[in-house]
This record gives sequence, structure tokens and C-alpha cells, in this order.
Amino acid sequence: MKRRRSLFLHLNHLRLLAKKFALVILFLAALLLMIFNKNNSLVLERSTGAATGVAASVVEVLVIPAKILARGYDYLAELKSIKKDNEVLRQENKQLRLLQDKYKALEVENKLLANLLNYVPLPEVGFVSAKVVAEESDAFAHSMLAYVADENVAKGDVVVADSGVVGRVDKVADKYAKIILITDINSKIPVMVEKNRVRGILTGDNTAMPKLIFVPLDAEINTGDRIVTSGVSGVFPAGLPVGQVVSVSKNEIKVKPFVSLEQLEYVRIVKYGLDGLLKQQESDVE
Amino acid sequence: MNDDFNENVVPLFQKSLPLISSIVVLLLAYLPINMALFNNMRPDLGLVCIYFWVLHRPDLFNLASIVVLGLVDMVISSALPGASLLAYLTMYLLLYNTQKFFNAKPFVVIWYGFMALSLITMLIKWLVVSIYYADFLPLSVLIFTYLIGVAVYPLISIILAFVQNQFIQDEGL
Repeated sequence: MKRRRSLFLHLNHLRLLAKKFALVILFLAALLLMIFNKNNSLVLERSTGAATGVAASVVEVLVIPAKILARGYDYLAELKSIKKDNEVLRQENKQLRLLQDKYKALEVENKLLANLLNYVPLPEVGFVSAKVVAEESDAFAHSMLAYVADENVAKGDVVVADSGVVGRVDKVADKYAKIILITDINSKIPVMVEKNRVRGILTGDNTAMPKLIFVPLDAEINTGDRIVTSGVSGVFPAGLPVGQVVSVSKNEIKVKPFVSLEQLEYVRIVKYGLDGLLKQQESDVE
Repeated sequence: MNDDFNENVVPLFQKSLPLISSIVVLLLAYLPINMALFNNMRPDLGLVCIYFWVLHRPDLFNLASIVVLGLVDMVISSALPGASLLAYLTMYLLLYNTQKFFNAKPFVVIWYGFMALSLITMLIKWLVVSIYYADFLPLSVLIFTYLIGVAVYPLISIILAFVQNQFIQDEGL
């Protein structure tokens, strides 16, 4: 009886101790999560996968009333400028028709020249259109969640919109893909200046405009220059439009993405068949 | 059967309402609004919920609720795993030690309290994440996120106060 009582007291003491230090233990757990992430823990990635799916489904339900409100606002805002927009679009349409004719002629010429050179074309491109269901944009991350159903989407796939690169798939979790935007601090894309092929790395810093780093000191880069992917590292194919240089200073070169990342409803997840370094890294981790 | 339901399930639901409402509000910050408003910057609504519930109903919003909220945020966010949990725990710790000061104070004082505590919390999170990446994250974006959070505090607290007054009854809890 006495032993049982002392055991009970011991257990009670332990319980109180755990309660007292719960906050410390939880702080340590939070720090451990960060360290696990630093080591590219696959366990952490897989265990959060299913939960991401559930959370994304809830966001999809919550989005319905928000969408109705946003559409109402858009409708009212568009009413103001509808006549002017129509005029601009008509002009743009004329120019596009001319460009389309040129493009067709160039395509034929390109095919003929490629045949002459015995050129090996890049692997055929397949893509999945995905609906954006959640967005994240603050000082700590820039990302989005997109619904990809049961389509074959994998980590490292390139995400593009009409006017350029959006980012890359970071995780695929139960019908949803987590996409890291080009403005995110974890995004690093090999790019080049279109006009003079100067190479560099476009790195996000969690602001709206990523910066260009690792550029040769004597490189001639001016505001207005177009930045496209360079294809180095084999994840992004070469030539995809990324953005335009908006400021060049001694310390940094800022690039404004072509895509309005905050106004995306649908994105295209493209499979270029270029697994590149990502595949290699993954197998190294495993 | 009906009495059993009323006696067991309803109080349980009421007890978990602060956590449920917090999760819903937290997820609201991730909704795609497709508008170029404030550079698409989003406030940390998790901090708002923790501040509100720990201050008003600490009996129904304990450490376990904070851990769940931190894990939900970790699951949906692409930010550094554990960073949100760390921020939420910091907010809890700060609030736990200053709670008495805010008792029976007018709303403005509580709002100022949120301004001060969320600033400290976000700066700690910023520092930890910056150390992790070995690169200082942009302070301007952080301040902007913080200001949006402060600005939406009254609106979110009205919603949460509505949940508290309408759906949580003290009898039977």
C-alpha cells in the first residue's frame, strides 16, 4: 500500500515537472523541426504531405465566399475602364496577328534549318493546368498551393503562367502541389540576360522583386533588360521569360517578374523531362 | 439519447470552438484573393487568434491548442517548419506573463498590447529565420506584414468575440 502510494506520488511529481517544463520542451521541439528541415528530412516531408491535403481542402471551401466578394470588386473596377481596355485590346490584337504570321514563317524556317543541322530536339513537353487554392506571401515565405488531382506532378517540375516563370514544385501532397515562387527566399534559378547571354542566379528574398546574383563584375546590365532562364543545372529549360531588370546598383540588381504573382488563378505545371540536379540531390538524400 | 448528446457533445464542441475558429481564421490568410492589394502581403492571423483567446478564454485555449495551430500553419505554409510554432509559443509566453495587466482594460489598451507583443514575437521569428538562412530577411516586408496584422486585429477580434458570445456558454463547461 505504501509502495503504491509512493509510486503515485512519483508519477504525480513527474507529471507536474512535465507541465512545468512543457513550454521549454515545446520550444526545443520547434527548434528541432528547423534542424530536421536543414537536413532535408524526408520523414518530415512525407508526414506533412497528407495533412497539407486536408488543410488545402478546407481552404478551398473557405475560398468560395471570398471569391464571390473579389469577383464583385473586380466587376465594379473593370466597369470603369472597359471602353478604354477594348480599344487597347483591338490594337494589341492587330499587332499579335502580324506577329503570328511572322512566327509561322520562322517556325517553318527553323524546322528546315534544324533538319539541315541534324539537331536533336529537347524532350517533348507535357503540362498540367492547376488551380491555385492557397497563396502565401509575407516576410517568411512566398508560395502557393495548387490542385493537381491525380496528375503526374513531381518535385522540381517547372511552373509557368502566360507571361513567364512562376516557380517550381516543392512538394506534392495528396492531390495538391506546393509551389515555391521565384520571389521566395528558397528559390534560386539559373538565368541569363537575353541580349548578351550574361549568366547569373536569380534569387528570391521574400520581396516582390528577386535579385540577380553571381553576375560577372564587368557585365553590362541595364534597366529594362529581359531576363530568361539559362538552362544551366538542367531543371529549367533555357529561354523561358522570367522578368525585367528594374534597378541596377553597386550592390544589387533587382528584377521584376513578368508574371503578376498575386493575380494567378491557374498555373501550368510543365514537365520538360529535365530532372537535372534535383533528382540527383534527392537520391543523395535517400 | 438527445440528452446525452446535449450533455457530452455540445460542451465538447464549445470547448474546442476557440481552436476551430482559430484554425479557420488562420486559413483565411491563405485565401487567393486575386487582387494586387498591398503587394499581396498577408498578416499572421495565428498571432491574432492566440492573443485574443489566451487573453479572453485561457481556460479553453491552452498550450495544446497553440501546438495544434502551429502545426496547421506548418502544414500549409512553405516557411521554415517550426518557425510559426516558435512564434506562437513566444506569444503565449509573453502573454502568460503580462495577462494580469490586460484584465478588464478597454479595447484600445488591449490593441496596444497586441501591437507590442506581436512586434516582439515577429522580431524574434525574423531573427531565428534569418540566422537559419544566414541572411537577413527584408525588414521592410516584416514591418508591413506586422502593420497589416495590427490593422486587422479589431476586425478579427470582433469575429472571435462573436464566436465567444454566441456559441460558448459557461454553464456545463
